[in-house]
Amino acid sequence: MAPVEVRELSKRFGHVQAVKQLTFDVRPGRVTGFLGPNGAGKSTTLRALLGLVRPTAGTATFDGRRYEELERPSAHVGAVLEDASFHPGRTARNHLRVAAVLGCHPPERVDAVLDEVDLSGAADRRVKGYSMGMRQRLAIATALLGDPAVLILDEPTNGLDPPGIAWMRALVRRHAARGHAVLVSSHLLAEVAQSVDDVVVIARGELRGRGTLQEVLGGGGSPTTEVRSQDDARLARALAARGHAVQRDGDGLLVLGATPEQVGVVAGDERVYLTRLTARSRSLEQAFFELTGGETR
Amino acid sequence: MSVLLEAELLKLRTTRTFAALVGAALALSLLVVGLTSALSDTLTRSDVNSLFAADFTGLFILLLGIMGMAGEWRHRTITGTVLAAPWRLRLLGAKVLSYAAAGALLSLIVTVTIMLVGTVILSIRGEVTPDAAKLVDILWRNLVVAALLGALGVGIGGLIRNQVVAIVGTLAVSFVLEPTLFALVPEVARFAPTQGAPSGIVQVDALGGTIDRLSAGVAVLVMLGWIALFFAAAGARLRRFDLV
Repeated sequence: MAPVEVRELSKRFGHVQAVKQLTFDVRPGRVTGFLGPNGAGKSTTLRALLGLVRPTAGTATFDGRRYEELERPSAHVGAVLEDASFHPGRTARNHLRVAAVLGCHPPERVDAVLDEVDLSGAADRRVKGYSMGMRQRLAIATALLGDPAVLILDEPTNGLDPPGIAWMRALVRRHAARGHAVLVSSHLLAEVAQSVDDVVVIARGELRGRGTLQEVLGGGGSPTTEVRSQDDARLARALAARGHAVQRDGDGLLVLGATPEQVGVVAGDERVYLTRLTARSRSLEQAFFELTGGETR
Repeated sequence: MSVLLEAELLKLRTTRTFAALVGAALALSLLVVGLTSALSDTLTRSDVNSLFAADFTGLFILLLGIMGMAGEWRHRTITGTVLAAPWRLRLLGAKVLSYAAAGALLSLIVTVTIMLVGTVILSIRGEVTPDAAKLVDILWRNLVVAALLGALGVGIGGLIRNQVVAIVGTLAVSFVLEPTLFALVPEVARFAPTQGAPSGIVQVDALGGTIDRLSAGVAVLVMLGWIALFFAAAGARLRRFDLV
């Protein structure tokens, strides 16, 4: 049983199918990136997982239990949602005190998490005077209060400056290194690519890919080779005959689903001299764009 | 439930809203009681009892309850609250109880203060003052009304989530609709939630009228009925609501 299991999850808002039969797991000790363009259904999925939105169909569970079935939810799951809001007239310390009471966490955790997110110096200021980055840190402090085994972060780098983003990456890696499961959503692949192990890619509410970052977006399952020869037409026929997809690419050919070694063998068999043979690595962004179709809703 | 209650009471203590409302209710009540005690020509025992019973906290407490619940949507803190305590009906129940307690506390502070100030002024003027038993009787009635209005405010704020609409609507009911009912159909108005039934509990004529008030016990039951109605409606809405 995985720490987070989403099974055939669907959510419809009126005529809009926000999430469609989504299935994926988040494994312990790994950071899973939940990726998709704006409007793909990421936040709806996370909110269904957290019991804030009622699924139309399917389940979303933590160790087999729905969020509201957890005895002390914040001791099991820490969540930072995109629109984390606080009472503007309450100080950060008092906000955390309330959260500690609700979660039955020891009061000393308040100072510990304030230290962890580097907000101790501003802890007794009212939140209305906080910058967006400080609010984001306070939201993270709230999520960490119960030292949860699962951390869910929805677009966590919003409002953070570059040092803040680096800090966030280090934080999720530290959390995963302790054997905890981390699920991070983002519409910007570049912001999470350095810190995730696995990815779940969705677009228009549907699953478009899941697995390790390399498997899903690194082109690991679909090699592409650029080749140029003295007889491209003959080589293309030979490659196609062996089941490879071949496209004209400028002055040469682009062979989809074949490594340079495979292309080289075919060329050798056909006695076609090659003048260029290169593996083409798709950029992560390019792969992500292709997978999601560059779609937004 | 005790954890939810403790958290709600801590929330109340950690913003300035509660203190501000206590201050406003106290200032207004003291002003009215002070001026009336000092300037009225002659006050009968009934007048004095009415003066101490009308501590002007009811409206403030009703608004406090509305702000406590509707404020969760206004400040968009409801998501964090439900994340921390996903049992939505229990959460609403805890808010009802905590604002009932807050209402009683606010009323205690204001009623005791105006009783002290009013009694001192009346004594100096040589006017009649209520005995201790009467003061205690007035006090508990005020506390019960305050607790019930605090709870009712949470129910209203849970049903009407736009804080401004909830407050303006409640003021309209309290200052326009209910007085109109008192004028036209007083036998119906005495069941009304913001002034009618409370006047039966404190046994003071609402709006200076002379209607046949409900008995205190019946008035409490009527108020509990209003609270149950709003709680059920707000709870049903809260349970179904997707927090997107």
